[in-house]
Amino acid sequence: MQQNLKTLGLAALLALGTASPTLAGTAEQIAAATAEGAVSIYTATDIAQGQALIDAFKAKYPGITINYNDVGTNGAYNRVISEAAAGQVGGDIIWTSAMDLTVKLAADGYLATYASTEKPSLPAWADYKNMVYATSVEPIGILYNKNALKADQVPKTRADLIAFVANPAMAGKVASFDPEKSGVGFMIDVNDLQQTTTFWDLAKAFRAGGGKTYSASGAMKETVMSGENVLAFNIIGSYALAWAKDNDSLGVAFGTDYTAALSRVAAIIKGAPHPEAAKLFLDFMLSKEGQTALASVGLPSLRTDVDSGYNLTTIGAVVGGNLKPIALDDTLLEYMEPAKRVKFLKMWADSK
Amino acid sequence: MTDASKTELVVEDVHKYLGGLHILQGASFTAERGSIVSLLGASGSGKTTLLRCIAGLEQPEVGRIRIGGKVMLDCDQRLTIAPERRNIGLVFQSYALWPHRSVMENVAYGLKLRGVDKITAAKRVQETLEKIGLGHLADRYPDQLSGGQQQRVAICRALVYQPRVLLMDEPLSNLDAKLREEARYWIRKLVLDLEICGVLVTHDQSEALAASDNILLLRNGAIVQQGAPQDIYARPASFYAADFLGANNVASGRIERTVHGASIRGPNWALDGVLVGDTGEGEGKAVIRVEKIGVHGAPAEGRIAMHLDACLYLGDRWEYRLSYGDLQAKAFGPKALPSGPVWADIPRDGVWLFPAAA
Amino acid sequence: MSAQETHSGAASGGRIAISSGRRSSPPRPMPRPGEALAFRRTVIGLLALAVLAPIGLILYQSFLDGPFFIAKSRPGFSAYLYVLTDPMFYEALTNTVIMAVGMVAIAVPLGAALAFLLTRTDVKFRGLLEVVVLVPMFISAIVLAFGYTVSIGPSGFVSMLARSVFGFVPWNLYTLGGIVLVTGLSHVPHVYLYVSAAMRNLPSDLEEAARSTGAPLWRVGLDVTAPMVLPALVFVAVLNLMIGFEMFGVPLVLGDPSGITVLTTYIYKLTTLFGVPTYQLMAVVVVLLVLLTLPLVWFQRRLLRNSRRYAALGGKGGRTTAMRLGTRGQVIALSAIGLWLFFSVALPIGGIVLRAFVDAWGQGVNPFAHLTLKHFANLLEVPRLYHGILNTVIIAVVGGAVAVGIYLLVGLAGHRSKDHASTLLDYIVLLPRAMPNLVTGLAFFWLFLFVPFLVPFRPTLVSLFTAYLIMGLAYGLRLLQGTLIQVSPELEEAARTTGATVTRAWRDVVIPIIRPGLVGAWALIMIVFLRDYATGVYLMSAGTEVIGSLIVSLLQSGAMDIIAALAFVSILLTGAGLGLALRLGAKLHD
Repeated sequence: MQQNLKTLGLAALLALGTASPTLAGTAEQIAAATAEGAVSIYTATDIAQGQALIDAFKAKYPGITINYNDVGTNGAYNRVISEAAAGQVGGDIIWTSAMDLTVKLAADGYLATYASTEKPSLPAWADYKNMVYATSVEPIGILYNKNALKADQVPKTRADLIAFVANPAMAGKVASFDPEKSGVGFMIDVNDLQQTTTFWDLAKAFRAGGGKTYSASGAMKETVMSGENVLAFNIIGSYALAWAKDNDSLGVAFGTDYTAALSRVAAIIKGAPHPEAAKLFLDFMLSKEGQTALASVGLPSLRTDVDSGYNLTTIGAVVGGNLKPIALDDTLLEYMEPAKRVKFLKMWADSK
Repeated sequence: MTDASKTELVVEDVHKYLGGLHILQGASFTAERGSIVSLLGASGSGKTTLLRCIAGLEQPEVGRIRIGGKVMLDCDQRLTIAPERRNIGLVFQSYALWPHRSVMENVAYGLKLRGVDKITAAKRVQETLEKIGLGHLADRYPDQLSGGQQQRVAICRALVYQPRVLLMDEPLSNLDAKLREEARYWIRKLVLDLEICGVLVTHDQSEALAASDNILLLRNGAIVQQGAPQDIYARPASFYAADFLGANNVASGRIERTVHGASIRGPNWALDGVLVGDTGEGEGKAVIRVEKIGVHGAPAEGRIAMHLDACLYLGDRWEYRLSYGDLQAKAFGPKALPSGPVWADIPRDGVWLFPAAA
Repeated sequence: MSAQETHSGAASGGRIAISSGRRSSPPRPMPRPGEALAFRRTVIGLLALAVLAPIGLILYQSFLDGPFFIAKSRPGFSAYLYVLTDPMFYEALTNTVIMAVGMVAIAVPLGAALAFLLTRTDVKFRGLLEVVVLVPMFISAIVLAFGYTVSIGPSGFVSMLARSVFGFVPWNLYTLGGIVLVTGLSHVPHVYLYVSAAMRNLPSDLEEAARSTGAPLWRVGLDVTAPMVLPALVFVAVLNLMIGFEMFGVPLVLGDPSGITVLTTYIYKLTTLFGVPTYQLMAVVVVLLVLLTLPLVWFQRRLLRNSRRYAALGGKGGRTTAMRLGTRGQVIALSAIGLWLFFSVALPIGGIVLRAFVDAWGQGVNPFAHLTLKHFANLLEVPRLYHGILNTVIIAVVGGAVAVGIYLLVGLAGHRSKDHASTLLDYIVLLPRAMPNLVTGLAFFWLFLFVPFLVPFRPTLVSLFTAYLIMGLAYGLRLLQGTLIQVSPELEEAARTTGATVTRAWRDVVIPIIRPGLVGAWALIMIVFLRDYATGVYLMSAGTEVIGSLIVSLLQSGAMDIIAALAFVSILLTGAGLGLALRLGAKLHD
């Protein structure tokens, strides 16, 4: 079976490699994609946020149905590798916030290479070897309860945050991701570790102050909203901004000296059953139209020419100018090494 | 009396084991059309197991069974036929009427399984029901019938498709005493009229005696005696058989041979009797049917002087409580007698002697 | 055997027919013809395949150093080595044992007391209470747990009330103690169900004798009634211990914030610990969990055998008269039951209902100022969500009916069978119970991916249904077997001797008689399918979502508004299922 898979994968790769440049964005590509009739997406993005993109795509290409599978970051990864092994690839696009997992998929040969037609409009850091593309830039920030904290009490810088979590008055009232349970939380943490010198200071202060860890940002939001926690850091800003808009008691803040940003990344799965539709969809996600749709539901665009919601420029301004998006490169693979990962988690566990 | 052409059921040396227990220890008998064989025994004697073996509901490990000339079971050949292919009828102690089917549907089921068309079946069921006086109940459900009616429906259900053998497992035990006497009469009549072969399991000796042509007396999984009712009642072959049937006086003592035959002797009493079997002298028991003892107010030749302790009124007769030395006995008579000395008639051949070795 | 002995007739008179040869040891048993052996063995064989395939796959996976489908995975014990030397595993194991034992310690005495009150005394509103006290059993654990966070979590509605009274919240739900309390109280019905069945059959004279010597009611219960149902109590304690080991939903939700892991959530955590899913480690934990549970299964079977014997001794038809509680007793009993119902029904359900209709809550927020229906509008707008609701209904109603049909076939296959295959059946049925539903779902995901003829069914509800079928096997089959055994064997034998084959007898006699039981079983299976959340987590795909698993997957992203709305729908559906079950005359009590 393994041999079969390889030939299958190879055939698909060849098909992609030869067909893509000539068909891109053309009537022929649209016709070919429409003939395929569907595109299947494995994603970790809530349908609530994906819906606008789906609607926009459907409006433009009515002949193509979208199968939207929200299976979580691990679920998406699991599906890609196990379906490839079974020779039963069912997904065309993987779209997830687990940048590291997706780059690993690319490195392990599970993803197809495709040079998007929109690539010229994207920042240089936003693709990995023409396989994985960033589709958003989502700053990582702080969600706080406005009834419990005044805006001027909210930490503005990394040093403020460390002082805040160390403050005994806030003991047991600060929340963040549990890197042991949340892949995204882990990625944010190691990015901090790689980009700053203060990661372990923050971790130790947080752990020592009885900070509470969660596996999901939604759970943190619920606790901050209810006042159980006064503040949660390392929250994905796009969610936080949307929540704050709907809810009077929630506020959002970003570090003015340093704000990392993660991207939801998309890629075409090798051996995709609908390769042309997949390419069309990927191009659409990255196009101005697609990015506008995403920005309209609060996923800031990584283009600079999108007017609705935030774009790369405006979101940079919101966070105070020091936006440091996590780049799509081999650095992401560093902590996919089990030994390194376990070592990091051990240090985390011991930092109490 | 055995007529091979009428033989319907042959059971040969059937053994059944359950766990380590040997619950049937080689039962053999034959049964004929137009007659009833009773399997009589106390509970645990294996009579129901034997019946279920004939029906095919239990599988014996050893033995042969033939029904209507066809081999149903031959353990040496490892051949056995499923119950539904044995062409038998079985009446259960609980009647086992199907609660979700009307009387008509219950009775017609066997015909339906045999491919009889609906109209013919309905006619035959109605006829059979009429015959036993249940024609008007065809549309009722079992829970709307009395016990006696249910029992008759159960028999109808087992008979309507004219099985070779009708097996009945304590069919009368759930009826009250009066109904029971009626039922044993009409069951016997039905079997004789229809010329089928009936096998009746019962623990009730009077039922077996009244209803059957042949009785098999079972004990601990073995047949201890078989024969016609009169025969088995009048000539028991063992103490167990003698004691199981009838109402008896039992005396323990020492048995000795005499010139006329034998006698049994206690510390202060003695009775002449007949030895059963060809065993010798020694400690043993005597069985005297209650009805064999005649009690009189005056002495005569051969009468034994006894003491009447009490006299109980039973309605149709009187029961006498007698003592003879330390021997206690019961007898019946037509009138009340005053307590005191009486004289009893005990015929020699009414005293069966069973030395302990037998 | 002589000819003389074979013929009977009156003439043979005093002859005694005895066997020709007595044997000391029983000879080989005869085959039983017409017992539908082919059918029985086929059904049991297919079932064994459906049960053993996922378990075999997991076992195989546990002995590899990578996913079984990756060519470079090599066999070995490295996964066992990792797990067995991981301190987190032992922490999770310890927590699991504490949780399970704690749950039993709470549920068994309370359940027994409840059973005592409802079966042995004249407590008021008995008819109503007999149904209401079962409600916690039917609510999905994930819904229950979520309901508690909303009502008595650190900022729950009730906690806020407490804070306004005391100035602080005097409890903390997110502790091992909180988990034990919640699970213990919510498993009281499981205990009640078994113990009440045992108590109902007890004759009253022993209790009356004790009362007439002047013993107060509680002494009677403790000294007379409890010892008589001791086998049932031990049995149900073991059963709940097993349930405790498998518990996932409550520790997942309540253990998350404070980082309390039990074995099932440890499995879940292992997928992220290494960034990529480490199936071999998950498999090892499952194998260890099964090894932990199997002795309990075995012990439980032994107990069951003994308790049956015990129950038979207890004698049926014994007259039972309710002991009088008196006014003071009534007040105490009803308040205790009411308090428990308030905690285990009103609190979680109330929390969910409130949360489903507000968009803000917590400290300093008046929830009634934030009433909204928009969460439900979401359910109707988003295809994935209304598919989830629709699929849940389909799986429960249609799937439940099909499952009852299949359980019936399996039940018949083992019905009054003396074949070895039916002994096998007894054991294979119990195996899936030892495996967490989450993993059952994952194993079926793989099977539907890698077994060629199953592949087309993967994106359909068939794959989900198959996993549900195996997940509900132990419960469903027990339900069906319980119904089948009530048909008196003589009714079947009467059909056989009348001329019906075994299968014909089943069709014409057994099945029509148990039809009401089947309908009741359908309603109960429906609820079992409704309340499950773990089986579908890995298995569902676009178009085959179900409510419970949607909630688990939404927990990851944390769309609490939608979770609350879904949980609310789930409660409504469960309520409808329960109502239907009662209407159809389902026997909720054994």
